[in-house]
Amino acid sequence: MSDPSPALVTASGLTKKYGDLVAVDGISFEIREGECFGFLGPNGAGKTTTVRMIHCVSPVTAGSLLVGGLPAAIDNRDLKKMTGVIPQEINLDNDLTVHENLIVFARFFDIGRREAKARIAELLRFVELEAKSGSKISELSTGMKRRLLIARALINRPRLIVADEPTTGLDPQARHLIWQRLRQLKSQGATLVLTTQYMEEAQQLCDRIVVMYQGKILKEGTPSRLVEDEIGREVVEVRVPPEDDARILGQLASFPCAHERVGDTLYFYCREGHALMRKLLELDLPNTLNRPATLEDVFLKLTGRSLHE
Amino acid sequence: MSLSYRVAYVFLRNLYSYKRFVVPTFLVSLIEPLFYLITFGIGMGAYMGAFGGKPYLHFLVPGVLATAVMMSASFECLYGTYIKIVHEKVYDSLIATPVSADEAVAGDILWGSFRGLVSGSLMMAVALAMGVAPASAWRFALLLVFMVFVGVLFGSLAMIVTSIAPSFDFFSYYTELVITPMMFFSGVFFPLDNFPGWMKTLAGFMPLTHVVRISRSVYTGEAAPGLGWSLAGLLVLAAVVFTISTRMMRKRLIK
Repeated sequence: MSDPSPALVTASGLTKKYGDLVAVDGISFEIREGECFGFLGPNGAGKTTTVRMIHCVSPVTAGSLLVGGLPAAIDNRDLKKMTGVIPQEINLDNDLTVHENLIVFARFFDIGRREAKARIAELLRFVELEAKSGSKISELSTGMKRRLLIARALINRPRLIVADEPTTGLDPQARHLIWQRLRQLKSQGATLVLTTQYMEEAQQLCDRIVVMYQGKILKEGTPSRLVEDEIGREVVEVRVPPEDDARILGQLASFPCAHERVGDTLYFYCREGHALMRKLLELDLPNTLNRPATLEDVFLKLTGRSLHE
Repeated sequence: MSLSYRVAYVFLRNLYSYKRFVVPTFLVSLIEPLFYLITFGIGMGAYMGAFGGKPYLHFLVPGVLATAVMMSASFECLYGTYIKIVHEKVYDSLIATPVSADEAVAGDILWGSFRGLVSGSLMMAVALAMGVAPASAWRFALLLVFMVFVGVLFGSLAMIVTSIAPSFDFFSYYTELVITPMMFFSGVFFPLDNFPGWMKTLAGFMPLTHVVRISRSVYTGEAAPGLGWSLAGLLVLAAVVFTISTRMMRKRLIK
């Protein structure tokens, strides 16, 4: 990127506390106009709390958070008017039909009835729900509900779209449709803020990501840069008992690969895994896998491979 | 407090959702007052002779009317709002829009008040059919306005309870310990004259007592002493309770 766009969201020392619990611990970042910016992290890392502060439904405890040059505050209606939120939880209005859900939402944004109807027709086409306009919410599949959440988030033609784990619980078809739509929105000039636990999603959608853990930002960069810097190009996995580590590692001293032992597996992070793979096969270790490094490796390396509960 | 015309949008949302339940809620709203008026008014009333020169039914109607408004507004702002916060997450999606938490709460209180007005009006229709009419046309209109106010008062009160309710069961404390006693000790079914002094004092602290006094006086056209004080007290109480309810709800909604 030769000439980065101006920042739409600027956080510095951003902190959120719930009583004694520090959910977001003095983080700083910049989201540029027109990019897709991803927050990655395990459950409880502070991703959702961060984006909730960005879209003005959770007050900032300390530090500063500017959106479009304005402080993000609960009663900042100007910011809410320019923001579209695709929530993690499906909070559609179950008492209302698909069309009524959107009509009522348009009202909340002061959009007149005629204009609302035109936009709704367009949005239902966009998310491929034209046929469901009069349906009750209970008649929709999870994928349809998630698509309706996207249509609802776009009713005010937002400049900033906040998507909090937008594909949780979806099958691959539904997920890919949502990814396509989100990319389409970005190409139309919207700025996208995404939280996700799916590394593939981050790789598919994000220009830049930050990896969050325990309220802090561990790393920031483009997905491919992070993989390259943190892991290398390839990963070799060897499934062997830990007792064999010394013997195997002794044989591999000449290979420039970092290694890590997790449970029943020995991981090697290399620029090029082919030669190592050959050597391991020579050592009669058939239970070996050579694959390209992914964001998932970065994620697991940075946040640890143990469970976060 | 952050209030604007957007309160109307929240009311409108409720109206949309209400469309589907109009018929059943009308039926329920009609059946309950009918039971009260038939059992107490006609059944019991037959043994009671004249009440201040008129059949008992004339004494009973304004009180039951006020109770119906209280009940509807309370239940809407207890169960209705709780469902919208906890189960349907309507509030979560609302406060992410330019609608403020205060407006969402005020819109729901107004909605509770509207439900109260519907119940009260149906009740009045039954009373009219039984020949118990307000003393004049303007008194009839005044009663409608008063019902809206009573709805706001009890809706706000219920909203405070909802703001701290950890679950549905919590509402039983409020309905059994506050609403039900009020219904029996606020002069709805009989005058408070025969209560011992301390009970009269206690009844004086119950908002429904004053609501019933005003309702009865407006309905029948009979003057009652200190009615202005009753009204002033209720107005102040409503303002205080409304303010507290929006504050406490904001605490629940915004974290």
